[in-house]
Amino acid sequence: MSESITLNVQRTIRARPERLFEAWTTPQQLRKWWGPAHVECSDAAIDLRVGGHYHLDNRLPDGTVLRIEGEFERIEPPSELVYSWRLGGATTAERVTVRFEPCPQGTEVSIIHERIASPAARDEHEKGWVGCLDGLVTLLAA
Amino acid sequence: MARTKSNESDDPESQLDRVFHALADRTRRKLLAHLMLRPGTVSELAAPFEMSLPAVSKHIKVLESAGLVTRTVDGRLHRCSLHAGPLQHVAAWLDPYRVFWTDTLDALAQFVEEEEGS
Repeated sequence: MSESITLNVQRTIRARPERLFEAWTTPQQLRKWWGPAHVECSDAAIDLRVGGHYHLDNRLPDGTVLRIEGEFERIEPPSELVYSWRLGGATTAERVTVRFEPCPQGTEVSIIHERIASPAARDEHEKGWVGCLDGLVTLLAA
Repeated sequence: MARTKSNESDDPESQLDRVFHALADRTRRKLLAHLMLRPGTVSELAAPFEMSLPAVSKHIKVLESAGLVTRTVDGRLHRCSLHAGPLQHVAAWLDPYRVFWTDTLDALAQFVEEEEGS
């Protein structure tokens, strides 16, 4: 799909890369912290190997559960994770790269979210996805 | 100046489609990058590319149709300049993702930093 968008987000966190990698890849810990403020991670499962599947369930305040799932493409502890990302049963996968780089204050965490489908692509392939994104927008605006 | 063709709808979704279509090509992104620095004539814009003038002109037309470039005609010179307004729609469309990740990283920071502090 040619029409896609990449998003980059960075943040420095006062912890070592090893600690963050662990928090990002352990289901028990993910359930405690994953997601924006009003989202509860109601279930998480991770098969941490290349090709292994993961899912993260995001329970919205209205009770709707949005599943994010995909497969791992690269695993380089404690510095990098690359995985596919499908939201709410989407048929085409986006891709997320997470990097943990040591810095004087702790760790610089970088998210590269690629292959975000354009509205045109969504119209053709992922009608159901629009509702999910709208759900997130509503949620985040709350 | 030519207006958008009558078969091109002006509703926000169609406008966004045209902006994404315009951005989905590396030549057009490079043209925009040049225009961010300064306005230019079609031949100035074409200079860095191994492409015919008509081919570059066609790319500029796509950018115009997305509302990203405006063209003023001064005698024989066609001067192009950036019109960044429609890029805001792209930013707005991406915003939920940005907020999602910013918020999620906040939650991660809180989780691990509280633990380090205790």
